[in-house]
Amino acid sequence: MQIDQNTLENIRLKLSYKVRYHLGPFCPDIDDVVQETLSRILSAARDQRIRNPESLGAFASATCTNVIHEYRRGLWREVPAELDVTRPDPSVSVMEQLEMQNLIASTLAELPERDRVLLRAFYLEEKTAEEITRDLSFTESAFRVALFRARERFRKISTGTLKSEARGTH
Amino acid sequence: MLRLHEDPLAREELIRSYLKRRLDRLTSEAFEAHYLSCNECFDELRTTDRILSGLTNAAVVRRERDRVVVIDFSGPAQLVRESPVARQLEGILHQGDSRVLVDLSKVSRIDSAGLGVLMTCYSHVLRNRGMLKVLRPSEDVRRLLSLTRLDGVVEAFDDETAAIQSFTN
Repeated sequence: MQIDQNTLENIRLKLSYKVRYHLGPFCPDIDDVVQETLSRILSAARDQRIRNPESLGAFASATCTNVIHEYRRGLWREVPAELDVTRPDPSVSVMEQLEMQNLIASTLAELPERDRVLLRAFYLEEKTAEEITRDLSFTESAFRVALFRARERFRKISTGTLKSEARGTH
Repeated sequence: MLRLHEDPLAREELIRSYLKRRLDRLTSEAFEAHYLSCNECFDELRTTDRILSGLTNAAVVRRERDRVVVIDFSGPAQLVRESPVARQLEGILHQGDSRVLVDLSKVSRIDSAGLGVLMTCYSHVLRNRGMLKVLRPSEDVRRLLSLTRLDGVVEAFDDETAAIQSFTN
């Protein structure tokens, strides 16, 4: 099976997300874990061990899980238990993280109050649809529409903000 | 088998549980295997992740201790131009607040706009014949307060109890 460059970059992005989710955003070895996973995937593709392109995602995810386990086992052998290996390095990544937080928080601040109340109730307070429809006097179908419109507005504003930020910094 | 494309609300509930690490191992792995091959679900996941981090990070929290208003930041924060926490800080004081302690331990950076917000709070408290003090500023923030000579106006403490007691001394 051949993996083209676009597919490879797409998988790399998603693997980075998965590795960051499991090892924490400040783990210094995220790129190495992703790279190791990608080389195993490419090697499997070369050896025709991935026959069905539709199973590529599942194969990549399972391979990544194995690499993460190996990484953790390696660290457990080499690093004394009391050391926190994922402790944030006081470097650029912390600042980038904070700047990203500020961008996201300002995106939320731009949303109408009703959207914020809804998003807070659903995502932060983890209320069920029934609770939200009762508390905010929605019908269930109106709640579904309102939630997805609020997400859509957030997505549009955040995409615009992130793009303009990128233009400003490059 | 996950049915993520049939019910968008069910997908959102699943993503919310994944991000809050409440899924069992098998469901979590199944979802990861899915988003590795599905751009739509990955996009939804990232949007929800951003919404959640925006909702959870660095809110300005107000509490009272011994008749002193203590302002905390719930996460890492920067008091800089246009930052939401700076805007929140500006609006968090009540009309009659006269004893205010701002905990700066989670504030890594303050720029001139952030200093302006802090001074607005200071003036507000002063108008009520009160005092504003700060708690545990980082070395950088302490240096900035010193450079701008605000350390002579805004007293800094490293211990909350001592800071609270200083309002009655």
